[in-house]
Amino acid sequence: MSGNHNNPSDQLNQGLVIFILLGFLTFVEYMIAIWNQNLLLLSVVATIKAGLVLYYYMHIYKLGNIDEGGSHHSLAWKTTTNRLGFWLFILSDAFLFAGLLTTRFNLLGLTRPHLDQQLGLIVTAVLLISSFFMNRAETQMKAGDTKGFALSTIITLVLGIGFVAGVVGVEWQEAPFGVADSAASGVFFMMTGMHAFHVLTGVIFLGIILRNGMKGVYSAENCWPVEAATVYWHFVDVVWIFFYPALYLIGIMA
Amino acid sequence: MKSPEVKFSKAIALFLGGQVVGLLLGVLIQTALAGVYNGAYFKDIASWLLGVLLALLGFFYGLIGYYGLVKGLVWQVLGTIAGGLLVSAIRFLMGLEPFDLAKFGFTEGGWVAGALIGAIAFLAGVGALTDWFKWAKGEKTFDHHQDPEGFIKYFGVSLDHKVIGIQYTVTSLFLLMVGGLFALIFRLELSQTGLEILSLQMYNSLMSLHGMVMIVSILVGIAGVINYLVPMLIGAQDMAFPRLNAFSFWIAIPAAILLLSSLALGGFDTGWTGYPPLSVRAPLGMSMFFVGIWVAGWSSILGALNLIVTVLRMRAEGMTAFRMPIFVWAATATSIISLTATQMIGLAFQLVLFQRLLGMPFFDAAKGGNPVLFQHLFWFYSHPVVYVFILPGLGVISELLPVFARKPLFGYKWIAMSSLGIALVGFLVWAHHMFSSGMNEYLRVPFMYSTLLVAVPTGVKFFSWVATLWQGRITRELATPMLFVLGGIVVFLLGGLTGPPNATVSTDLHLTDTYFIVGHFHDTMFGGYIFPFFAALYYWFPKATGKRLNEKLGKLHFWLMTPSFFVLTLFMMRVGLLGMRRRIADYDPALSFDPWHLAMTISAYLIALSVLVFIWNIIKTVKGEQNATGNIWKSRSPEWLVPSPMPPHNYDQPLKVVGEPYDYGLEGSKYIEFVNKEEHE
Amino acid sequence: MQNKKHFIIIGILILVVSVVTYYGILALNLLPVAAAVQSQPIDWLFDLEFKLISFFFAVIMVPLVYSLIFFRQKEGDDSDGPHVEGHTKLELVWTAIPLIIVIALGIIGAENLKQVLAVDPQAAQVKVVGYQWGWRFEYPEGFTSTKLYLPVDKQVLLKMESLDVIHSFWVPEFRIKQDLVPGQITEYRITPSLIGEYKVRCAEICGNEHAYMESPVVVVSQEDYVAWHDEQLRLAKEAELASAGKPDAGRGQALYVESGCKACHSVDGSKGVGPTWKALYMSSVPLADGTSVTADEAFLAESILNPSAKVVAGYNANAMPSFSYLKEGQVNDIIEYIKSLK
Ligand code: HEA
Ligand code: HEA
Ligand code: HEC
Ligand code: CUA
Ligand SMILES: [Cu+2]
Repeated sequence: MSGNHNNPSDQLNQGLVIFILLGFLTFVEYMIAIWNQNLLLLSVVATIKAGLVLYYYMHIYKLGNIDEGGSHHSLAWKTTTNRLGFWLFILSDAFLFAGLLTTRFNLLGLTRPHLDQQLGLIVTAVLLISSFFMNRAETQMKAGDTKGFALSTIITLVLGIGFVAGVVGVEWQEAPFGVADSAASGVFFMMTGMHAFHVLTGVIFLGIILRNGMKGVYSAENCWPVEAATVYWHFVDVVWIFFYPALYLIGIMA
Repeated sequence: MKSPEVKFSKAIALFLGGQVVGLLLGVLIQTALAGVYNGAYFKDIASWLLGVLLALLGFFYGLIGYYGLVKGLVWQVLGTIAGGLLVSAIRFLMGLEPFDLAKFGFTEGGWVAGALIGAIAFLAGVGALTDWFKWAKGEKTFDHHQDPEGFIKYFGVSLDHKVIGIQYTVTSLFLLMVGGLFALIFRLELSQTGLEILSLQMYNSLMSLHGMVMIVSILVGIAGVINYLVPMLIGAQDMAFPRLNAFSFWIAIPAAILLLSSLALGGFDTGWTGYPPLSVRAPLGMSMFFVGIWVAGWSSILGALNLIVTVLRMRAEGMTAFRMPIFVWAATATSIISLTATQMIGLAFQLVLFQRLLGMPFFDAAKGGNPVLFQHLFWFYSHPVVYVFILPGLGVISELLPVFARKPLFGYKWIAMSSLGIALVGFLVWAHHMFSSGMNEYLRVPFMYSTLLVAVPTGVKFFSWVATLWQGRITRELATPMLFVLGGIVVFLLGGLTGPPNATVSTDLHLTDTYFIVGHFHDTMFGGYIFPFFAALYYWFPKATGKRLNEKLGKLHFWLMTPSFFVLTLFMMRVGLLGMRRRIADYDPALSFDPWHLAMTISAYLIALSVLVFIWNIIKTVKGEQNATGNIWKSRSPEWLVPSPMPPHNYDQPLKVVGEPYDYGLEGSKYIEFVNKEEHE
Repeated sequence: MQNKKHFIIIGILILVVSVVTYYGILALNLLPVAAAVQSQPIDWLFDLEFKLISFFFAVIMVPLVYSLIFFRQKEGDDSDGPHVEGHTKLELVWTAIPLIIVIALGIIGAENLKQVLAVDPQAAQVKVVGYQWGWRFEYPEGFTSTKLYLPVDKQVLLKMESLDVIHSFWVPEFRIKQDLVPGQITEYRITPSLIGEYKVRCAEICGNEHAYMESPVVVVSQEDYVAWHDEQLRLAKEAELASAGKPDAGRGQALYVESGCKACHSVDGSKGVGPTWKALYMSSVPLADGTSVTADEAFLAESILNPSAKVVAGYNANAMPSFSYLKEGQVNDIIEYIKSLK
């Protein structure tokens, strides 16, 4: 698959295939959780999912494309530099979420908060679909299809807002515990809150590139902000790939 | 045109005026809030600090007018009030008490929101966000940025890494003096048993803030040295992301203000480590401390990110990894730590903050929380960060030794790799701060091993330094930078060698939380940071200003500071071993520590005096006429091959690396060449 | 050869300087007397580390100072030194030797720790309670003391818990330190070996009065211990009987000091961590939930035994630890004392 980086329609198809794979794996995860609670299996599936997103949606391999030859004023050189910086930011942010996961396992061990598993599956699906559209938006922009880009971005935005509404608007209200009840409830609100905060930042980011994109600021060759927003959005998705099993699937209900 | 002299006296006048107005304002507000006038309000620290804030505002206003820093400060004050009022309004709408007189007006949530909005307002006011707003609106921004003429450029947003480096460095010196001043005050209290001048609460607040202000001063200081030097050393025009660079610097200012504001808002009594559950119960100042450090953390993270990209992408042609000046290695290793580990202290502090604000019981054992978890998160950052403090300092030592020994750096690759080694092993040792904390007992032995392991790469550095000096041709006159380098080596050696007794668990059970530890870390931090920092200042001052600091005063500084410092820390270790606990305002007279503490206090004041000598030296030199524009140290490093002060865009012609950086004593060898010049010849 | 001469000289100097440094350190008497069996291995390890420190101090300092004296540019000479870039074998040596030392030190350290933690299954148990800002020692026989009495040469297991924040139990003469963590029971094993009076000092900052969180620790002979022990039992019984019969403000006042109420409650009307007791009895106390209550005997008793049941307005809900260990008679004594504060 990785041989066809340049052909736009192949790229769109690739995004779709990955999306289906991710959906399937999520379903598998859910089934594992219901049937046998195998921690190792769940972490393996989550790692595979994260790997797929990192490689096919976030194009982590592009970090290797260091074009030493280019002049320091060329666009390619600048994009490579920006990309490196942005990924370092993501690395840094990843430590925050790793810390939250550590906190969760330290305080809750192999129990999990009392949550509605179906709702969890729904919001996870919403975020996953948004990732698919985000990937589409980027591919379309890189193929010069500004209209398609705008449409896909709008769908992503709507789904992203839907996700936050699902977590904050529904899940938080329905949870049978309040923030101050126990360490477990604290962890739940902290993890989902911190993640939702990142989704909201992503929504703002998307809003900006949508507006600028429609104004024609970007072109197929010159669209680093679109790539950055994409990478960011998918990163937030990767975080959820780990948070979802950690909050909804692993362990027995406390 | 007015001369700067005239402006200066106006600034001083406004400074004093600001202090008076602020003090009166503070008393007025308290009278209004309490409904009665009470003479004791004049003694209240909050009013005095309000005065200091207005005084600084007045001072800078007198100096530069409503511009840059002044604008930022005004916006920060307004932002804080707006944030506080916003929360009050929300609380009012929710039917809750909107204000809390016991907490200086706003509720705790109001103060925290105010702090964050204030910090952002500062950035907007100072102009650090302008280009990003433009970018968001899809407007064009320009890479080339013209700084205003004269000293005013240091008070506003500049994208030039040299200006930013100097801004950082001056801020760091200022914080060093503030933190040192706190130490001087509480050392006075410690000079004999009994409580004489401070209350317990005040002692604890000053001691805790001393620790954290010093640490922030170090973080800002290394950022200063790194920012100023690295682009020059690798032959670049600037950092990879100049705008982000300016942002990283300017966000440190509101962070420092928040940190210091905790003194006015009730203080706190936890030490710099802020362990819960004590920090959950501490006064409002605790929250300001947490928010301040969280904001300062972003300065570290973004600065580190910028540096790594700069080193990876901006090196001059031919500068392979092992041909970089050694300081660049140190800066990179440091940045790897800052980039990643900082998030953990941010998270740890946020968790406590949320427990304070919303009652989320992360550290409340009765509700399933775990106080020890905080310590793990905290030390996961705060141990590696001690290597952030020293790696650049050790880099400066490695950079300067060959110049003054006139001999190549011995074992360049080993020194470079040892920096990385220290940084990486440093990630695996955090629990050595927790040997007696009640964490899982079986963790103690593995953490003892990993901790001891750090001695190996550190040892490599020491041995290589000695080998560099061995059979060198050390310059006849030991210039001030070299003195500080040598002092740094000795002091850091003492600090380092007192590490293993802390690392072996059973001896640490005696040592932990005593003045032995206090002695250990003052030695490591002074030897690993303060001494090399001063060495760097003396060494590169001519590069930045074209003038060389006075040698006589420099030597006075050194010879005043070093012996006093030995007395201070060696006595600390002695009383610590004999039973002196940390973080106590008063000690048992039965221990008969009084004379030792008195000697420590006197040494502390001598150290302060030496710092004043240094400041005086700077003022005298800047005003003086003597110029030093050439390669006064006879260094091979690229920045010395162009005249001082450094031109705005560093190197007019691109340079190319053609040899090894430290080939002293090799006839006809060259480290770099300027590309176009060669063609002309 | 020139080089060889230099090496011989610094070799000798290193030896001399390390020996002098080591004996210098010893001469300073850096450790308090050792009063427990567990202090012996620790002091032995200290000694080893002092040797190590002296040696490595000399290893670095001697060649450094030597170079500064002998390897200088001569008058009017501004030549460079020899072009020596490094020496891989040498680097390997000074990586390997510290590595070996460090591993050895790790093994020794682990072994040492094992000795320090050695368990005597016969050890007697005492419960240690730390709170802001005091210590309380609860003996299994049912009496409580503010001084820790220990018999010499017998291992005792302290089971430690904290009522509020983290504290740390440290008797410098015993060497070992252990934190008291809320929600956790930590253990501290000690075998006192030297009769005498020491102090336990709280070593973890725990708020304002941290400096003063000290209590006597008395190591006595076996016979004295038994005598003290019987006396305590007798006193406890007496006090209980007396209080049950007739509460007494005098005993209440003593408890006010001993149990640590004094740290937070004033009796002169000034505000502390907790509300003052002056004129408290039968006054109307506003509560945090907006209601108010009359401070009668029932409310006072409840506030002592279960302080978070009703929280006084303007005070921190968790600030006051529960004093449910107090006997009914003792609670009545305190209430009697509060009543006397007009
Ligand atoms: C710049 C800062 C800095 C540096 C570099 C170090 C370096 C080291 N530190 Fe220190 N440390 C602090 C700052 C620093 N520390 C601070 C701030 C605290 C207290 C925090 C608080 O509680 O407030 C602390 C506390 C602290 C503790 C916890 C003590 C306690 O509270 O119980 C421990 C325990 O292991 C420790 C160990 C070490 C070790 C083993 C090293 C090693 O890296 C040292 C390595 C160097 C050498 C050993 C010397 C050179 C080597 C040779 C010459 C080779 C041969 C040597 C041997 C074979 C031994 N330190
Ligand atoms: C780089 C870090 C650094 C530096 C440089 C210092 C410098 C000093 N430190 Fe401190 N120290 C810490 C970091 C540092 N410290 C930390 C992290 C702690 C732990 C805190 C905790 O436990 O939580 C600590 C704790 C600590 C204690 C233990 C307190 C306690 O446990 O109760 C003591 C006690 O003596 C002390 C003393 C000193 C002294 C006398 C100096 C002197 O060197 C200071 C010399 C003075 C100056 C450098 C200022 C000179 C300037 C002026 C006089 C002009 C002032 C004018 C204006 C501001 C306009 N420090
Ligand atoms: C660490 C601080 C602390 C200590 C020690 C402490 N208290 Fe308190 N106490 C408080 C605080 C804070 C309150 C108010 C909040 C509450 O009601 O829980 C309080 C409330 C009370 C009240 C409620 C009535 C009132 O308005 O004053 C009584 C009675 C009381 N304490 C008794 C005691 C006794 C008896 C002791 C010792 C045996 C003691 N306290 C030790 C902090 C403390
Ligand atoms: Cu208890 Cu310090
Ligand atoms: Cu450490």
